[in-house]
Amino acid sequence: MKSKPKVWSMFMLLLIMAVVAAGCGNQANNSAGNNTTATSQPQETGTAAGSDKDIVIAINSNFMTLDPHNASDTHSISAARTMYEGLMGFDENMNVIPVLATEHKISEDGLVYTFTLQENVKFHDGTDFNAEAVKANIARIQDEQNNLRLRKSFAKVASVETPDAKTVVFTLSEPYNAFLNKVAMAPMISPKALAENSADIMKSPVGTGPFMYKEWTQGDRLVVVKNPNYWQAGLPMVDSVTFRPVPENGARIAMLKTGEADFIYPMPTEQVSEVEGQADIIVDTTESTIVRYVTLNTMKKPFDDVKVRQAINYAINKEAYIKVVKSGLGSKLDSTMSSKTQYYSQQTGYDYDVEKAKQLLAEAGYPDGFATEIWGENESETIKGMQFIQQQLALVGIKVEVKSMEGGTLSDQINSVQTPEEAKVQMWYVSWSPSSGDADGATRGLFSSEMFPPAGSNTAYYKNENVDQWIADANKSTDSEEAKAIYADIQKTIWEEAPWAFMGVDQIISGKRSNLEGVKVFPDGSINILKAEVK
Amino acid sequence: MGRYALQRLLGVIPLLFVVSVLVFMFLHLIPGDPARLIAGQDATLEEIMGIRQQLGLDLPLWKQYVHYMSNLLSGDLGNSIQSGLAVTDMLMSRVMPTLWLTFLSMAWALLIGLLIGVVSAVYRNRWPDYVGTLAAISGMSVPGFWLGLVLIQIFSVELGWFPTGGVDTWKSYILPSITLGMGIMSMLARYSRSSMLETLREDYIRTGRAKGMREYVVIGRHALRNSLIQVVTVAGLQFGFLLGGSVMVETVFSIPGLGRLLVDSILFRDYTVIQALLLIFATQFILINLIVDLLYGVLNPKIRYSS
Repeated sequence: MKSKPKVWSMFMLLLIMAVVAAGCGNQANNSAGNNTTATSQPQETGTAAGSDKDIVIAINSNFMTLDPHNASDTHSISAARTMYEGLMGFDENMNVIPVLATEHKISEDGLVYTFTLQENVKFHDGTDFNAEAVKANIARIQDEQNNLRLRKSFAKVASVETPDAKTVVFTLSEPYNAFLNKVAMAPMISPKALAENSADIMKSPVGTGPFMYKEWTQGDRLVVVKNPNYWQAGLPMVDSVTFRPVPENGARIAMLKTGEADFIYPMPTEQVSEVEGQADIIVDTTESTIVRYVTLNTMKKPFDDVKVRQAINYAINKEAYIKVVKSGLGSKLDSTMSSKTQYYSQQTGYDYDVEKAKQLLAEAGYPDGFATEIWGENESETIKGMQFIQQQLALVGIKVEVKSMEGGTLSDQINSVQTPEEAKVQMWYVSWSPSSGDADGATRGLFSSEMFPPAGSNTAYYKNENVDQWIADANKSTDSEEAKAIYADIQKTIWEEAPWAFMGVDQIISGKRSNLEGVKVFPDGSINILKAEVK
Repeated sequence: MGRYALQRLLGVIPLLFVVSVLVFMFLHLIPGDPARLIAGQDATLEEIMGIRQQLGLDLPLWKQYVHYMSNLLSGDLGNSIQSGLAVTDMLMSRVMPTLWLTFLSMAWALLIGLLIGVVSAVYRNRWPDYVGTLAAISGMSVPGFWLGLVLIQIFSVELGWFPTGGVDTWKSYILPSITLGMGIMSMLARYSRSSMLETLREDYIRTGRAKGMREYVVIGRHALRNSLIQVVTVAGLQFGFLLGGSVMVETVFSIPGLGRLLVDSILFRDYTVIQALLLIFATQFILINLIVDLLYGVLNPKIRYSS
């Protein structure tokens, strides 16, 4: 009996020591132990700060696909742009710039686009980039069988001709003002790789980009390595880039703090103040093309009255919304699109004015307000936004019930209706970002009367014949000044008729280690690593 | 026992069939259209229809089920709706992290849980018991999500001992398995304590001691083994639930395992992946129950299996 306490306490002590020892074990032990699952994964990527020219970027969700013609999420687009390039591309303000094309000419009637290509550019598999390669890519995109996301962007391309190896001529069936933006969204895949394993191109990308594919374990990492034969001299300046999906905000920021990640995006807004002032971490912000708004169903009472919709715009304090809901990281939405979108035109009015809102409601016949409901996704910031709107509208007598739903379910609720009459949506708090930064992408799907659900996203059921006509005119315009003027009219009219409660423009917030330079998140949310450099 | 085991194994087949029907039906009843989710926000209706057709989602439900079953029977789990990757490949790359995670969590939870339980029972109402009870109750009350983030903050950010996530080294598994095993450890500690207390009151324990057996033989060989039956039942059940817990832990620690795959695929209504995962989870649950049943016989030879 005597020895009993001793035995147990010894055992306990041993265990505690074992646990502590496991924790303190030095790096040399890393290769031993339970390493079975990491066989195909390079060890060095675990410690980003330790290796000079290898950087780790933590993002919040998986890449869906590496097929650059079929990507619809921003992260997949980011991934594609590390390995692929298009004839055109975007700069950090979403302006279209030449990449694989040195110059382009547009015919007077807006139908013929002639691109002159860069010479001496090779795909990662060593084959030449030339006009034939462009033709093969457009053929793949246009093939109905492939059903690729980019197909609709090239629906108006009637023919692609290649008079010589460095010239490509696109002939359109009708003028298409946003065409250059669409060209900028179409990366070029090696025709040889396409011919050899078209089905597997998403697992083994071969482009002309600054980085080459190394490995992709979905859900764990995507590794791209430096393309030694890249056509732009001196680039890239890092040896490899590892993208890691880290869904949990707290874990992503922890990775940045420990140096396991050199760059994180998105940086959780609530954590920005926490890392501010830390010498080794820098927070970058940039205005995005992501706009947040509430659609007001203009075919339903009481939102069919423009005064009610304007009243709602007056009743919501947008400055307070940015402060409270977006932690101060954003700006007021002062048009139907963000200032980073093509042909943006700033609007004024709807400054916070409760009295004016009450007066407009009274004029519309709702002096005591009314009851309605607002829909939105069940993610915490969205709920916060809806509660803010609820509280603001309560001050003018509008009783709003907040209904948050899981994304897929909500999308079903909105899109399963066939006619405007069936629609149950009254207010929907949502965001939008035009995928190629073009005004058409920020307008047609949202405000054209052909785009009522399920055909498109005009969930305000907004119908204005002038706007419909202008959208078509602008689209066919061959002169960008003319297009700009038309879009200014469109924005002004929609702003006045207020089918939305115009809320805010998101800021893109990323965090990086202070020794990393050149990694930038563009206004569309894609991460650009072309000029990444470790100092 | 061999025959019993075989019979039980064969019994799994109709059970899995029922599971497959239920999973299929319920999945397609959930609102949400994968085609729309794949196509993205600015997709046109024509595009969405195209995707539906491509994925066979435009067929009547029963036809989809027949396709799915005939593929399944020939060993083909199909391709992910979302990414187009083969589901089998996806599962293969995801299964090891989850297995390691659940195994390690269970291992330490069993070890420490039993230890605390036994010590608490032996030193009933004395300080080791109080410490053990406190540890167990705290472990049970701590939300896993919070615990995970606190561990990351202390051991990764402040002390730098462990990575914040991923599966690069064996060290990556320490914090997640502590997080995942905490609740089970506490539960096992409570169960083994009460079970030990009961056993310690048995006549044969008194007899053992009266015979002059050494105390560690009495506790270790007789009392512990007899009290294990209850513990094994609880541990078996918990092992099944570990997978549920791994969904959360894998998210916090960015582990590319089955749990996270499940969350991601539910968000995208990736039917093929969800179906495959649920079938795997069901099979696993059934197998663990079988193992628990068989363990009873090992622990207590008086238990016999009749077929």
